[in-house]
Amino acid sequence: MTPQEDELRELRRALESRSAEVTPEFRVRLSSALAEGRPASNFLPALAAVAAVVLVFATVGVLLLARQARNEPPPGTATPTATPAPASIPGVLTKPPGRIQMPSSAELSAPSANVIWTLVDYRYLYRSTDRGATWNQRPVPAKFQYFSPNISFISDTEGWYSVSFEPNGDCATETISIWHTTDAGATWQPLGSNGIADAQCKQGLAIVDSTRGFLDAWDSNHAPLIYRSTDAGRTWIGSAPLPDPPGFKTRAGSVLRPGLVRAFGSVLLVSASSTSASVTQYVFRSTDGGATWAYATSAVQPDGNVTFVTAARWLKLIGPGQSTETTDAGFTWHRYASDYSQAAPVAANFDFADSTVGYGTVRGEIYRTVDGGLQWKTIHTPGT
Amino acid sequence: MIGDPLAEERLRRARAGDAFAFGELLAPVLDPGFRLAMTMLKDRNAAEDAVQEAALKSWRKLDRFRYGADLKPWFLAIVANECRTTRRSRWWQVIRSDEVEPQGQAAPLEGGWADSIDLNAALDQLPKHHLLTLTLYYHLDLPIEEVARVLGCSTGAARQRIHRALAALRPGMVWEVGR
Repeated sequence: MTPQEDELRELRRALESRSAEVTPEFRVRLSSALAEGRPASNFLPALAAVAAVVLVFATVGVLLLARQARNEPPPGTATPTATPAPASIPGVLTKPPGRIQMPSSAELSAPSANVIWTLVDYRYLYRSTDRGATWNQRPVPAKFQYFSPNISFISDTEGWYSVSFEPNGDCATETISIWHTTDAGATWQPLGSNGIADAQCKQGLAIVDSTRGFLDAWDSNHAPLIYRSTDAGRTWIGSAPLPDPPGFKTRAGSVLRPGLVRAFGSVLLVSASSTSASVTQYVFRSTDGGATWAYATSAVQPDGNVTFVTAARWLKLIGPGQSTETTDAGFTWHRYASDYSQAAPVAANFDFADSTVGYGTVRGEIYRTVDGGLQWKTIHTPGT
Repeated sequence: MIGDPLAEERLRRARAGDAFAFGELLAPVLDPGFRLAMTMLKDRNAAEDAVQEAALKSWRKLDRFRYGADLKPWFLAIVANECRTTRRSRWWQVIRSDEVEPQGQAAPLEGGWADSIDLNAALDQLPKHHLLTLTLYYHLDLPIEEVARVLGCSTGAARQRIHRALAALRPGMVWEVGR
């Protein structure tokens, strides 16, 4: 290496040290600003904008002085810290520009038999309090997001909303921001991601009651782990990595991807799917609040995700003649004559509110069962 | 973007006021824009404000953006201009008076760049048009053609500006700008 190359490398390093990546919070803030509409190109709004910028800098300048002592934790060394709760922000409600075209996505969260929430097309949040007969659109923390959000609700008013940003497409790092509402989305309190490291992709926000929450972290080079919160999402602690299940070895390129954590009293269950083993579905159990997870069983049928209806009764819903059921926590599986029928290309998701009432999707179309999963009837997907 | 029907459809929708379409157009250039603002302003809040303002301005000016052109140098030029505006603002100079650098020639560095503290200090003291040029070429790794587009000059002039910026940072050193 010549002296010049060496010095240019130092220059690049020095420039890099001045630089930084965009935070998810800023992306949301920018989304909100853009959602106010395209700025007019006449002179008066420009003057107003200049005045606004000056005011912003005045505010920012004062804040800068106040914030100079703040130390940002380095990436990958996230440790929960006590911070004052930030103020809530008003939720924003943006109507779809037209009918949402199917197939689409419809994430489900069913906190009780009568209450069902859905996030349609990654953007539009709806609530039903009559099992899907009627729907009301509810506000979200920003008018639109660039990145796939998750929802998790524990009642008709209280829930959480997360948005994550993965810059490189390889799941090496992904940042996440979480919000909390107690008024059905009218206002949202930003909770940040206190204790969640940037490393690994994040998915599967699952708040199971007013205090306990879980969030998956996974990538293609390491064993997954599951973050847990015992203060309603304000701080998070990572679990021990999930152990390798039989037939699966964690190594470069291997993926073990957890699903949604379900809680049945003190028993926690999560399924995990693998793309690099003949057995593609595993179930893990935790009885210590999610600090550690133990391999429980495998679902030998490769298709479909394990859906936990109760602590012992689980379903794999695929199509007529293909679905299976276990009533002994996975020790034995048998055919299950459900009329549910999956269809590509949108992955199905299910959420059971109790042992009989559950909701599922087929290409974004929402279905409901009231007999524990045997018969499914379509209900109108809002916005479509 | 050239020949990309999806991008052109997004551009058409964004011009019509579709915020989501504009957000999709902006997403790939947001990170380089923010990196540029951070290296210029060295302050996250100020950089976020500058990029947000640049985003709104670029949306307002989108009618002047021609189909088939590359959005990145166009957006980076707006970000760079916004950073210059920020640094000229009275409030910036009042609040950051302890960090406002002398506008003259940077002090020559003794020896090499092994001591990165000296290099960081030299970058702080470097006139901002030189810092912009170095950031575009050595940090964002833009090809010389895109550097020229951001700076609004020819590729030959862009090479000269890089030379001058390096010379200001390290007088006496002969640099090759090869790409």
